[in-house]
Amino acid sequence: MPRKFGEIQIRAPRRYGKGEIIQIKARIIHPMETGFRKDKTTQQVIPAHYINEVKVFYGDDLLTTFDWTYAVSRDPLLTFYLRADRTAPLKIVWRDNKGKGGEKIIPIAPQ
Amino acid sequence: MEQTGHDRPQPSRRAFLQRTGAWCAALFLANLASGPLPFFRRPAQAAEGAAASPSTIKAVLRRYFGDRKIAAKGVRLKVPIIAENGAVVPVKVVSDLPMQDDLYVKKIYIFVDHNTNPYIASAALSPANGRAALQLKIKMKQTSNVRAVAEMSDGSLYGDVQPVKVTIGGCGG
Repeated sequence: MPRKFGEIQIRAPRRYGKGEIIQIKARIIHPMETGFRKDKTTQQVIPAHYINEVKVFYGDDLLTTFDWTYAVSRDPLLTFYLRADRTAPLKIVWRDNKGKGGEKIIPIAPQ
Repeated sequence: MEQTGHDRPQPSRRAFLQRTGAWCAALFLANLASGPLPFFRRPAQAAEGAAASPSTIKAVLRRYFGDRKIAAKGVRLKVPIIAENGAVVPVKVVSDLPMQDDLYVKKIYIFVDHNTNPYIASAALSPANGRAALQLKIKMKQTSNVRAVAEMSDGSLYGDVQPVKVTIGGCGG
């Protein structure tokens, strides 16, 4: 499995009916440095680098906002539910404390 | 050669006993003079920290929720009894609270009492989520209570507390 910084992996069920509540899982590849750790060879403190906000949009509506601190484990996995009542894109946007960010869009198409 | 080999242990044993005796006396005196030794002080400090923490977590909860009461129902927190690695502690929050347009879970918070920053994460939900649940892997510094609090759109609070034993802390290096 490729592990590139900032990559988002999203898993959604393959088939679901209209109005069904489905579980979406997403993983963002990110080091989530606390700022407390030291580099073992140089003895330098590794600066904090963590995702502090993840927003999930369903169509144009803001579905969920995750507010995180450095105490979330590395390569965070986020799980949430969604009532799939219409065909619309699902967008996951993340931003970290260094101002970096990324997004990924998957289609939600109930049958 | 045999003689020297036989001779040698005796003075060295005497010296050893003398030195050990001196050290023991020194330790004993130091203990009497300046309270517990640094080596023995650690558990006492840990106990102090444990005693101090409920007030800290109370202060944190007050900062987020004011004086509102947190009802111990509606939300269930699923955590391991023992977490072998404090850097990855799976936390699952499930609830049977309503997710209707007029009454829904607005926010789910996760706190860890003994972390440097007890506030770990929150998720702001909307009725379109359909179900109030949260699953996350968190870092824990030491053995502590984990708390989940769900805030409803009408301002009422529901929560659950579970203890987690941590064998290796996950904050420092």
